Amino acid sequence: MNVVVCVKQIPDPAVPGELTSDNRLKRDGAKAILDESDSYGVEMALQLVDKAGSGEVILVSMAPNGEVSGLRQALAMGAARAILISDDALAGADALTTSKVIAKAVERAGGVDLVLAATESSDGYTGTVPAQVAELLGWPSLTFAKHVEIADGKVTIQRQTENGYDVVAASLPAVVSVTAGVVEPRYPSFKGIMAAKSKPLDQVTAADLGLNSISAGQSIVSVDAAPARQAGEKVEDDGTAFERIVTYLEELKVI
Amino acid sequence: MYEWSEEHKMIRDAVRQFIEAEVRPLRDELEFGDTPPYDVIRSFYRTFGMDQMARDSFSRRIKRDKEVEAGTAAPLEGREAAGNNAGMTLIPIIELCRCSPGLVTAMGVSTGLGAGTIMSRGTVRQKERWALDLLTFEKVGAWAITEPDSGSDAFGRMQSTARRDGDEYLLNGSKTFITNGPYADTTVFICKLDEGNPPSERKILSFVLDKGMDGFEQTKPMRKMGMHSSPTGMLFLSDVRVGKDRLLGETEDVPYREGAKQAFSIERVGVAAMALGIVDRCLELSIAYAKECVRFGKPIGEHQLIQDKLARMEMARFNLENMVFRSIEKAAVGVGLELAEASVMKLYSARAAMEVALEAVQLHGGNGYMAEYEVEQLARDAKVLQIYAGTDEIQISQIARSLLS
Ligand SMILES: Cc1cc2nc3c(=O)[nH]c(=O)nc-3n(C[C@H](O)[C@H](O)[C@H](O)COP(=O)(O)OP(=O)(O)OC[C@H]3O[C@@H](n4cnc5c(N)ncnc54)[C@H](O)[C@@H]3O)c2cc1C
Repeated sequence: MNVVVCVKQIPDPAVPGELTSDNRLKRDGAKAILDESDSYGVEMALQLVDKAGSGEVILVSMAPNGEVSGLRQALAMGAARAILISDDALAGADALTTSKVIAKAVERAGGVDLVLAATESSDGYTGTVPAQVAELLGWPSLTFAKHVEIADGKVTIQRQTENGYDVVAASLPAVVSVTAGVVEPRYPSFKGIMAAKSKPLDQVTAADLGLNSISAGQSIVSVDAAPARQAGEKVEDDGTAFERIVTYLEELKVI
Repeated sequence: MYEWSEEHKMIRDAVRQFIEAEVRPLRDELEFGDTPPYDVIRSFYRTFGMDQMARDSFSRRIKRDKEVEAGTAAPLEGREAAGNNAGMTLIPIIELCRCSPGLVTAMGVSTGLGAGTIMSRGTVRQKERWALDLLTFEKVGAWAITEPDSGSDAFGRMQSTARRDGDEYLLNGSKTFITNGPYADTTVFICKLDEGNPPSERKILSFVLDKGMDGFEQTKPMRKMGMHSSPTGMLFLSDVRVGKDRLLGETEDVPYREGAKQAFSIERVGVAAMALGIVDRCLELSIAYAKECVRFGKPIGEHQLIQDKLARMEMARFNLENMVFRSIEKAAVGVGLELAEASVMKLYSARAAMEVALEAVQLHGGNGYMAEYEVEQLARDAKVLQIYAGTDEIQISQIARSLLS
């Protein structure tokens, strides 16, 4: 069983970001990290391949400047190899362009049974890539999985809903987006860390994947700071504050 | 080597993340309660695959040992013997000491001194019987040389004895300040062979004891100033009967002192890494506090006397890091540290850690004296670096002896 995990290498959120003149995040110089929401997919994939008893976990990542720091983290966790698409022509790529690149990379990986992705990235938040990749590959798309199982050529997931979950199944190959709760990501072992550097890393351009006409497709017009949070309501406790709090929670329909 | 490699940084980041998530939340229990450290250490070992790595390298060593015994291979030397993983050993020490130096004491004594002694002096059979479980941290080890009336003069004033009794030995004596003493499954007990000759002429022997043997008492943890996450106790032996299978090397003719020197060097490098962890954390906390605590109209970091403290802390951190780099580099090329060089490192490290930690308390004012602020604990912990693994005074005399010889 071969599983591709889409992993995004994002700017370290702990480091204050800076914008370029065309409103994009400055990428050079700053170290990228593995998007935490992708570490769940990596863990899930490792567990599935382990359970299947054969096959490998292959990472696919599109990132500028030949960035590998985040990939190394996922390789250290135990993935077997990685395909990195790094190409100046892809600067500013929108979600659809990204999906086209990833779909091609999945084909390049070869013999893939399952593609895992996070429901959305922690920096872009479009949340559309997994479904687009599925469509481009012509594979079923299953989303918001909080539990994934493979048996008899089928993938069955528990799809997180507001009130609980739906059980959804599809034939393989398929694309599944997983939520943060799906599994607890492991820490990389020291041995894994030492081995990560020598694992195969296939660095390609869009043209290598057969994608020749790339249009950026979008431009960022302006960037505004998020509005400051409104001041909350202060309740002085005269012994009856709990009543006010209970009413408030009832209004929110949380109790 | 002048900076950490990419791999080193990945190890550091992963370990730091683990410590913040799994260890720091237990700090109160470990440092102010009586929770033994072993479960935390075991989970650390398992999480990072250190137990499996220990198992793998153990089986390689044993295979080689057997070949050496059979005369088909030569013992490992230099680079091969030292291994290329010094960084991988030292980074966890540094990182754990940023939180709980006692964990490193408990861990280092069990694997470094306990298992280390068995691995360097034991027979293959003894290594398989006791060392492997200590190296993987499945079991806890202790190493007992210090006695109530010996201390720095460990060999000279040692009173513990082994007396032959038929094919067996009877062991007697008391040991004190023994790390992991209260809980150890496996204890290396160092004593003198009493053949009725004067104590100064007696051979030094070491034996392996199991918890619960007849006549072997392990006391409860002693109350102490710092390193609360490292249990320390006394051991009492009265006529503990052991066979030759428990005598390390299974012969009376392995001179103890020679092998001990190498163990001392390794221990002293470990202390440099411990000091680096303590200093690094003290500096980090001090910088944050110097920025946020405002007195006389400005953050205290803008007062020159506070700046002097920060600059000195950074100087110590810088020197310690370079010492650690030096020992990693030496291990990588297979050059061991001379005992005097290790003493220089140990003396500097222990003093630097103590000075920095006390200055960090000072910089934090009254808060620094309160348990809630970590520097209080680190300052208490740092003190022991000047006492164990050879006191400052002993390091000084060793350095001077080597300079004057
Ligand atoms: C927390 C902790 C854990 C320990 N763990 C272990 C352990 O696991 N196993 C073990 O065997 N031991 C252990 N020890 C013991 C430790 O190694 C000894 O405390 C240390 O060797 C010093 O011996 P001492 O305490 O008897 O001091 P002493 O030797 O009595 O020294 C008293 C003072 O005299 C000074 N002094 C001694 N000789 C000289 C000299 N020649 N010249 C100048 N000054 C001198 C010393 O430096 C010191 O200042 C531990 C100690 C502590 C505190």
